[in-house]
Amino acid sequence: MLTERIEKIRQSYVNNKPSISTDRARIWTESHKRTEGQPVCIRRAKAFYDTCAELPVHIFEGELIVGAIGEFRRCGILTPEFSWKWVDKEMDTFSDRAQDPYVITPEQREFVRREIFPYWKDKSLEEAFLARLPEETAKIGVDTGILDNDSKWRQSVGEITPDYQDVLFPLGFGGIIKKCESKKALLSPANAADQEKIEFYDSVIITSRGIILYANRYANAAEELAKAETDETRRSELLAIAENCRRVPENPPETFYEAIQFVWFTQIGGILTENPLSLNPGRFDQYMDPFYERDLALGIISEAKAEELIDALWLKYSEWVWTISANTADYFAGYNQFQNLTVGGKTREGLDGTNPVTFMALKATEEVKTHQPGLSVRIHQDCPEEFLAAVTELVSRGTGFPAIHSDSAGYQMLLNAGYEPDDARDWNNCGCVVPHYRKTGEWTAAVNMNFGSAIEYALNEGKSLMTGKEMGLKEKPASAFASYEEVEEAFFKQFKNLCYHSIVLTTTAQRVHVDMVPRPFLSSCMEACLEDGVDLSRGGAKYNVGPVITGIGLGVCANSLAAVKKLVFDDKVCTMGELAAALKANWEGYEELRAKAQAAPKYGNDIDYVDRIAIKIANTFYHEIHGYKDIFGSPFSTAFMGISNYIPMGRVLGATPCGRKNGEPSTEGVSPYVGTDTSTPLAAMRSAAKLNQEIHSGGTLLNLRLNHDLVATKRGQANLGSLIQSYFALGAFHVQFNTLSSKVLRAAQERPDDYRDLLVRVAGYSTQFVNLSKSLQDAIIARTEHAEF
Amino acid sequence: MQIQHFSVNDGDGIRTTVFLAGCPLHCIWCCNPENAGCLDAEHRMTVDEVVGIVAKESIFFRNGHGGVTFSGGEATWQQGYLRALTEQLYDRGYSLSIETCGSFDFAGVSDILEKMDLIFFDLKHMDPRFHRLFTGADNAAILDNLKKVSGLGVRLVVRIPVIVGVNAYEENILKTCEFIAANAPAASLELLPYHRFGADKYVKLGLPGPDERYEELRVELAPGIAAERMDIPSDEMLEHFYDIAAAHGIGRISFK
Repeated sequence: MLTERIEKIRQSYVNNKPSISTDRARIWTESHKRTEGQPVCIRRAKAFYDTCAELPVHIFEGELIVGAIGEFRRCGILTPEFSWKWVDKEMDTFSDRAQDPYVITPEQREFVRREIFPYWKDKSLEEAFLARLPEETAKIGVDTGILDNDSKWRQSVGEITPDYQDVLFPLGFGGIIKKCESKKALLSPANAADQEKIEFYDSVIITSRGIILYANRYANAAEELAKAETDETRRSELLAIAENCRRVPENPPETFYEAIQFVWFTQIGGILTENPLSLNPGRFDQYMDPFYERDLALGIISEAKAEELIDALWLKYSEWVWTISANTADYFAGYNQFQNLTVGGKTREGLDGTNPVTFMALKATEEVKTHQPGLSVRIHQDCPEEFLAAVTELVSRGTGFPAIHSDSAGYQMLLNAGYEPDDARDWNNCGCVVPHYRKTGEWTAAVNMNFGSAIEYALNEGKSLMTGKEMGLKEKPASAFASYEEVEEAFFKQFKNLCYHSIVLTTTAQRVHVDMVPRPFLSSCMEACLEDGVDLSRGGAKYNVGPVITGIGLGVCANSLAAVKKLVFDDKVCTMGELAAALKANWEGYEELRAKAQAAPKYGNDIDYVDRIAIKIANTFYHEIHGYKDIFGSPFSTAFMGISNYIPMGRVLGATPCGRKNGEPSTEGVSPYVGTDTSTPLAAMRSAAKLNQEIHSGGTLLNLRLNHDLVATKRGQANLGSLIQSYFALGAFHVQFNTLSSKVLRAAQERPDDYRDLLVRVAGYSTQFVNLSKSLQDAIIARTEHAEF
Repeated sequence: MQIQHFSVNDGDGIRTTVFLAGCPLHCIWCCNPENAGCLDAEHRMTVDEVVGIVAKESIFFRNGHGGVTFSGGEATWQQGYLRALTEQLYDRGYSLSIETCGSFDFAGVSDILEKMDLIFFDLKHMDPRFHRLFTGADNAAILDNLKKVSGLGVRLVVRIPVIVGVNAYEENILKTCEFIAANAPAASLELLPYHRFGADKYVKLGLPGPDERYEELRVELAPGIAAERMDIPSDEMLEHFYDIAAAHGIGRISFK
């Protein structure tokens, strides 16, 4: 049961439209005008400090955890230092756009165009990136839907898990300042190498002072409010808030309440500094439980009070809106900030780590029904039965949460990426399904690569089917292919070319980030950065894992190559020339051939004929990408993640030999193509588990829909638990379930007002169904509903 | 022979159901008419083939006590085949269950039934005349077999397909419960409400459907029993029948 307070806050979250605040951008810009000529890390640190000092304080009604990034309850901010151009171009349609609209007033638009954007002209990260990018890469890598990394140059990187365990809670930001000062005392400005480190420590001292100041301003405001408050209960709450904000984040937290307020201030710092994607709370149950147990023993907290605070934090996570371009929103739909919070799993020592907070986190997600945090669980084969039962019960609620991960597969993925075993065992999730660890610098979603384009260019002389433009490498006409092997070879030639350009996109972006956007605040959350005096953006973390290239369309490509093999070379029902002509005609006039193509073996049914091709593509992807190194010398990583990227990537893709038509969605993660996994979920799982998932250390994702009836009872939920454990026994990493009936989804589509809080799993994350564009809603409804359980 | 993976309503956990063809009864409501007669050659499978398919699915049995369920047709109809299959799967340690209409030669199949972890035994009607009318066979042997199967000591579930217009009336349920209480005291009861999912199959097979057959037979029924057509019982009716069972000391069970 939610408390009345939480229900009120929840209602305001559900009913308020996200609005843009321009305060942060204004202060940030004014600050930069005052610091011209100073080292860039100092400039950014000062801008952060000024923001903490000047941003108006907002304590909303009934709040227990405070700290806001702007004046609105559901609020987004602007970060013009990364990109102002897309905002300038798109903000007039912010409120009307199909995916993730925001409210921004005409006065606000006029203000930012007059006062903010002119300053950043020729100074933004976007402009620098585009100026450096080789033309041939730009042609297929900028707003094309073929290769996409705009979240790495129109936005910040994010993708960080603050280290509460070893840095933030033990030291507090006051302790971090002391540490930096003592480190600095050992350095000499006479030494050129030391100069950079001194600047780094100075930058961290400035941001640490900033976040402490920010908290104290909230303490002042709470005290002021308390003076004027007539309600006795609320007055004592406000005084408790003030006391918290005086203590944290400057000092190590002592109580559960302080710790949770500390966590939110850290999140605020991260948001104000760069509006990040995937600023992950990490293993919340592991670092919060000691406070809970202590307070419980001392009698200063009850389970209900702790639950209310967790609920309040969940709402705070959800009220912040990630401001992103329409293009990015297509890829990361649903106002999703990817603040991934992981519970359950083994401890560093290898023991089961579930504790009371684990269960409270599941309960909070079930009851508050917010789309944030992205709740992930780690399941090991010997995990407590109650935990698995709680997880499957949450699945049955149809919120799409939690994302369910194999403890051992995550461990194996990190071992393969070069982690020490203890650290690998302590993994948490980043973003949607990336196994991650708090002492890591990694671009976990560096580029989305459209696998389907390689099929298109191989069979259409290197050109796009829909535009006729030459986007791939030159190729002979399809009719000249004499064997299946030749077709496959042509596919891989185009495929490797796409890999190459993905690397160029990433390393170019990485270099611009090093030069332009050091990250002092987030560096202060990282042990090795503080120890060695090196900023996160320059490789300061303990582990610098190679950027992750995400493959989109594995299912489409495997199905397409299998269809070519079957139709043209095995059964000889058509020639390569006829097939190519059918694709060019978008199958129109070739209905009979299309039916045959659709009947060819499809990935996701445990058929080796086609699964073997999927394995070959996945392995080739890994070897090709892993052979490249990033600017820190780390080999690149691969992933088959979901997000919503399979929709925009399908939109630019012409008809494919699997029977798909122009522009239809591609496939996500390791999931089968929509509606073609017609056997059982077991077969879909078996196909997916064949893919050597553990080598793709950027994560793999399988999305399945189950009819709600199948998990409506305890028994049904227990069977789902068995299914999950069996899938993980096959070596797979992740699975997630949508368990809403299509009837409910259709009703929500027709009457969105009645279903504002209905959460669905998109892919790798959940969001409110009504916040998705019509085409994405349709795609979700179309996913095979596995009625045979 | 048909195999269905991921079955969860006929026994514990995630199961693979093996449908064996052939059946001594000809229930007019049968939802698997394609399995009633002998099968065409293309659906024939050797015991080894079936074992191979089942073994591949076994990873999904390991958690949650899943296994194999034999169904039909009537699973005991192909006695030798079922025995060979049962022995192999039993030796591999899989949990086995069987659905039976109860019409078999007990002495011939008791060694097979002993290897089961769970037996589902159908009781369709207590009145021999109506039993003959709707299934084409007398129920005396079936009732006798229930008694004998109960003596095997294998976990036993009696199932009644509850059909309005056929057997869904108080007197019949009362008699069924009395019989169970007296002859299979350890059995629990599962009521399976009638459904029409098999109707399309009759059209496909070119056979008269359940509704047409019922139309012909209903004249034989007493006015209190007959209905417009065979129908699905209400939830209230099912609850009432379970209450009757409870009054006889028979526990209810559900695999939903």
